[in-house]
Amino acid sequence: MNGSAHVGDQNAPRVRIRSLDKTNVDFVLSNTSLSVANSLRRVMIAEVPTMAIDLVEFYENTTVLADEYIAHRLGLIPLVSHTVDKFKYTRDCTCAEYCKECSVEFTLHIKCTESGTRTVYSSELISSNKDVVPVLETEDDRGAILVKMRKGQELNVHCIAKKGVAKEHSKWSPCAAVAFEYDPHNNLRHLDYWYEKSIKDEWPLSKNALEEQERDPSAPFDYKAEPTTFYFNVETIGCLDPQEVVTKATRVLQEKLGGLQLALDEDQAPDAAANVDDGEPWV
Amino acid sequence: MQVDRLTSGPYEHERLHNGEHDAAELLGVPSNSLDIKKLSDPIPTAADKWQLLPAFLRVKGLVKQHIDSFNYFIEVDLKKIVKANELVTSDVDPGFYLKYTGIRVGMPERLDPDAANRSITPHECRLRDMTYAAPVAVDIEYTRGKSRVIRKGVVIGRMPIMLRSARCVLTGKNEAEMAQMQECPLDPGGYFIVRGTEKVILVQEQMSKNRIIVQKDSKGFMGANVQSSTHELKSKTYVYIKNNRLYLKHNMIAEDVPLVVAMRAMGMTADKEIAQLIAGIDPLYLDMLSPTLEEGAASKIFTQRAALEFIGAKVKGIGRRQGAPRRTPHEDALDVLANVVVAHVPVNSSDFRAKCVYMAMMARRVLQAVSKGEDTDDLDYLGNKRLELAGQLIALLFEDLFKRFNSDLKLNVDKVLKKPNLARAFDVYNQLLCHGDLITQGLTRAISTGNWSLKRFKMDRAGVTHILSRLSYIAALGMMTRISSQFEKTRKVSGPRALQPSQWGMLCPADTPEGELCGLVKNLALMTHITTDDEEEPIRRVAFALGVEDASLITGTELHAPGTHIVFLNGLILGITRSAQRFVWHFRTLRRSGRIPAFVSIYIDDHRNSVNISADNGRICRPVIIVENGKSRVKDEHIQQLMRDEMQFDDFLRLGLIEYLDVNEENDTNIAIYENEIKPYTTHLEIEPFTLLGAVAGLIPYPHHNQSPRNTYQSAMGKQAIGAIAYNQLNRIDTLLYLMVYPQQPMVKTKTIELINYDKLPAGQNGSVFVMSYSGYDIEDALVINKASLDRGFGRCQVMRKFTAIVRKYANGTYDRVLGAPTTPDGTVLDKYSQVDDDGMAAPGVRLENGQVYLNKQSPVDGGNDINAGTGAADTVEYRPTPMTFKYPDHGYVDKVMITTSETDQTLIKFLLRQTRRPELGDKFSSRHGQKGVCGIIVQQEDMPFTDRGIYPDIIMNPHGFPSRMTVGKLMEFVASKAGAVKGELQYGTCFGGSRMEDMCRILVEHGYSYTGKDYVTSGITGEPVGAYIFNGATYYQRLKHMVADKMHARARGPRAVLTRQPTEGRSRDGGLRLGEMEKDCLIGYGASMLLLERLMISSDVFEVHVCEGCGYIGYKGWCQMCRSSKSMVPIKIPYACKLLFQELQSMNILPRLMMENI
Repeated sequence: MNGSAHVGDQNAPRVRIRSLDKTNVDFVLSNTSLSVANSLRRVMIAEVPTMAIDLVEFYENTTVLADEYIAHRLGLIPLVSHTVDKFKYTRDCTCAEYCKECSVEFTLHIKCTESGTRTVYSSELISSNKDVVPVLETEDDRGAILVKMRKGQELNVHCIAKKGVAKEHSKWSPCAAVAFEYDPHNNLRHLDYWYEKSIKDEWPLSKNALEEQERDPSAPFDYKAEPTTFYFNVETIGCLDPQEVVTKATRVLQEKLGGLQLALDEDQAPDAAANVDDGEPWV
Repeated sequence: MQVDRLTSGPYEHERLHNGEHDAAELLGVPSNSLDIKKLSDPIPTAADKWQLLPAFLRVKGLVKQHIDSFNYFIEVDLKKIVKANELVTSDVDPGFYLKYTGIRVGMPERLDPDAANRSITPHECRLRDMTYAAPVAVDIEYTRGKSRVIRKGVVIGRMPIMLRSARCVLTGKNEAEMAQMQECPLDPGGYFIVRGTEKVILVQEQMSKNRIIVQKDSKGFMGANVQSSTHELKSKTYVYIKNNRLYLKHNMIAEDVPLVVAMRAMGMTADKEIAQLIAGIDPLYLDMLSPTLEEGAASKIFTQRAALEFIGAKVKGIGRRQGAPRRTPHEDALDVLANVVVAHVPVNSSDFRAKCVYMAMMARRVLQAVSKGEDTDDLDYLGNKRLELAGQLIALLFEDLFKRFNSDLKLNVDKVLKKPNLARAFDVYNQLLCHGDLITQGLTRAISTGNWSLKRFKMDRAGVTHILSRLSYIAALGMMTRISSQFEKTRKVSGPRALQPSQWGMLCPADTPEGELCGLVKNLALMTHITTDDEEEPIRRVAFALGVEDASLITGTELHAPGTHIVFLNGLILGITRSAQRFVWHFRTLRRSGRIPAFVSIYIDDHRNSVNISADNGRICRPVIIVENGKSRVKDEHIQQLMRDEMQFDDFLRLGLIEYLDVNEENDTNIAIYENEIKPYTTHLEIEPFTLLGAVAGLIPYPHHNQSPRNTYQSAMGKQAIGAIAYNQLNRIDTLLYLMVYPQQPMVKTKTIELINYDKLPAGQNGSVFVMSYSGYDIEDALVINKASLDRGFGRCQVMRKFTAIVRKYANGTYDRVLGAPTTPDGTVLDKYSQVDDDGMAAPGVRLENGQVYLNKQSPVDGGNDINAGTGAADTVEYRPTPMTFKYPDHGYVDKVMITTSETDQTLIKFLLRQTRRPELGDKFSSRHGQKGVCGIIVQQEDMPFTDRGIYPDIIMNPHGFPSRMTVGKLMEFVASKAGAVKGELQYGTCFGGSRMEDMCRILVEHGYSYTGKDYVTSGITGEPVGAYIFNGATYYQRLKHMVADKMHARARGPRAVLTRQPTEGRSRDGGLRLGEMEKDCLIGYGASMLLLERLMISSDVFEVHVCEGCGYIGYKGWCQMCRSSKSMVPIKIPYACKLLFQELQSMNILPRLMMENI
């Protein structure tokens, strides 16, 4: 991230992955400052683009749930978004409403003809793009329940999924929870523990405490010390792989910084005055 | 440390351990406090006795008082009323009679002609604006000419039927059958459906009837009064002491009569007999009585005749019936004394003895009160109160209507029989049929308007019925348990409003409104039952059989002999007993074995030396467990049987394990709250202490740790929470319906919640709440809400509104019409009409914007009453558009359209329009602890603080909400629900019990959390830890119905009122914002005169008038009509209202002149 840093540089930020599975990545980010680590966390939550259903056209809805209700539920279904980079944001696309470049279409047409309860699952959505489909955990997972129907009820919708970021609506967030911690022993004294009798008994140490040494209590307190190591745990909702979320987030962060860099460079150029208010230079 | 597993089940009630928790102990460090703890634990016996509660509710339901009362009316009272008024005779033909031999109320029926299935469901009535009513049929026997005719099942009217009563189609149906009828199985019933609206007859609180109350009157005289109430009339009689002399006072007697004179008038002429009856042989009372007796002697009235003449002269003339012979004063007096004074004491064939004894009893009470130093009765004591329910109120109304029905019938019969030579023998049956509307109309009108006016009792009450609030399930339930008091709210006495100790277990201590009705409107506690009448005769026989000596056979000396107790039955003297304790014990034993009805109460009043048996209606009572020889009669095996469904609640009653106690009998008992508190003198045991709260206050977790007003606030707010209304909520078309999109049951439940099914129809959501300050947009209880939570559906709700249109038919044969959207000349449809289909209505699912039409209706220009005006042919009729337009700033959707016909055969179109709303700035939320707040700011998730596990708050609440409110229960809810969430189970916060904090803290520690409920939290903005540990947990939050979208209002220019030309008032009319009196005063004080002028006149109703300087008269366009000149006219600006005033004054011959002056 530092412009002068490159791979192998001792001062460059380091990432050490402690565990990685389908929905979780646990890593330690070190050799960087708190602001950078927090930026990464914020970007992972709010600015990693994914796909989510954004428009729903109702042709028939005789279920018990109202149209807005079902539309809201459809929007919250996580869609597999590995190919999200191939799509444009609709606002940047040349099409009038939506097109293949910027969206994926889904259809769902179910009529209950049986006498019992017919449960409609997200896996029943038929996608126009084989790469963007509702997230399913296993082979026989049927996904999230959309609505339950009784005999004679019908649901016929056409959905358009678009690319977006969670800043706009949290349905585009790839993350469920992002755990973030540093200095588990409170060596830096950023914390002021509240306790009744004994800190040690009442405040159990987190597992990250194994990674660091506790400060020698007799040593003088270093008030200039800065945090350098950060413990992350990113849990995803399945639309992106956890490592993907992290790498995409760094890219987004880089692009933002790059845009800023560019704007600053142009600002210093002799003819900068000519194009000051030139829209959004970093996009 | 070991946990005593025996006592830590979720249902186990435990007393919370007071004292501080030892941190080490909570963290699992062994401690030696175990033995001490064990000792204070309750003894595990019949531990699940709370199981009686669901059993009780299964038998009785939540609104049993209403339903029982209505059933009693239908099954018993109705028959009594008819029996009392069974005969209709004629003044013309003495041979004619009509006798009612029976009355029945059928099942609800539809009125539609030619319907194959006449049965009707309540839901259809709601939808079609009909009345849920059943025919009332009588059996009659009457004479037709010379023959006697018997007819059965003659319908005389229709009776609105209470839902879930014995005559309701829903009674005894299972859930599937209910669903078939589109009815919610959880709906409590107990209300009526009249013309499509659900109406509740609120429980009315009154002073008890036919009981002696000792009180000081306004002049400071001690007196005993009794409010007599019989089927015939109500009257109030006073016996009071003035200058040591006793007097009788009654409305019907113009002057107060010395008591001795009154007694003589009733045939008790001897002073000795009077003295004995009042004082017995007690020298104290005899001394007090002597001035009274002296006055009697001084009055020289010694015979009954003389006394009657004396009183007769003072009897107020009542409007005597025409033709009735004029009576002598002596007869007047006899009549008043027999039938009006202390009317409830019967006088059979001029035997006044019982009445004499009763009046002597009243006199004795007065003397007693005086001698004991102003020992008056407490009017606010619940035992002196009676609750009047739907059944009684309808019975009053029905009796009135039935009497009127019969007198109308008699008049008609007389009219017909007067005619000489009837062609056919007169058949009264035809007359009977055409009077049917009187009863039907009378009942429906009274219930739908709430005006109960009975001339007979001079009763004229308004606001008896209310529309059932369907804002939430709790609101509806709360309404069914509400009690309204008859006291005027303007009186500045605190007594009736104060919490009475006798309310324990009967009325909820928390649930009362704030403000002017505080303490006057009350709510029933969970297990309260209200009695209905029981037959007196069997009780009387039992009492005599148990050794009561008949009052009519004993003298005054015996009556007041020491050691004797006078036995009262429903306020009437029955007799005496010399071994009251034994008599009461025998009586109770009989009642417990089911020989006497369970709701008959008996208690000894040692102050008055009396035993009181009550079997009247309206007494408040509740079930408790009987304790015998220091042991609860309910044993573990009974509870086991109950849980195995081998026993029902009524079996407990039948076996004498539990019994009902009313307020008075409760005073004669010693009730232990917990089983381990049973002492040798204990007589009863509470079923569960938390039942002292009502249904609404029962939702609060840990209410016993809250400051008491907070529970009251929550009781008011719980009714405003948006949630699920009923299982049939989506089939309902209500005027206004708020539904939560994702309601959740609370993490911290109470047993009450489960009992009233709040977990099945909840109103709120469990949010992750952090208690910390954030951003400054959280002052004054404002909440910070996470935007991501809102995106995911937190607090989202739907608002449904009903709009009704009637397609009318008019008298002249014309009718309204509904047409498709009109097209402009160039063939396009205006945007205003774009959503209207060919049938003239917007289809379900269609989106409506402000100003768009959803029903394109047209009405005839001349719809009038003039029958001759039009022929009714459509082509000749002129129409004007009367469309219905959507008038809300935000868009909405058509949810449902219903077309049907109403009872009056008019076409009825109902539209249900829907809006879905996510919470926005200014929307109101509340926890269950009276802690309301508005949404102050909505924050992006990444800016929110988070714990080391990545948990974000849904809501951030400012900690300043706690110190002054002292809602410790809320803190406990935080911890309990957090523990429940980490462990994956629900917790209980039942009043006087619930999950223990110790256990909750232990769960938190086991799952790696701090036992304090606090967590290490990182700021989402900087990434640094926030300075303090943050208390957080899942807390149940309710979204309240007050939403910005419904209230937001501003106006620059807009409509004005026609008359005054001032801006209209109110948001619904796009009104102006008023600069009120106090604001005006501020501006005056500040001296901002130009601003005042602008606000009060220029921006409001400025008007230019031309005033004549000569005459001061207002002219017109520079011309003075008075002076007939335009010479000296000046234009001035005045408010239009001012000009209006001048003109109105002129119309009253007052001429205001405006004198002009240069300044």
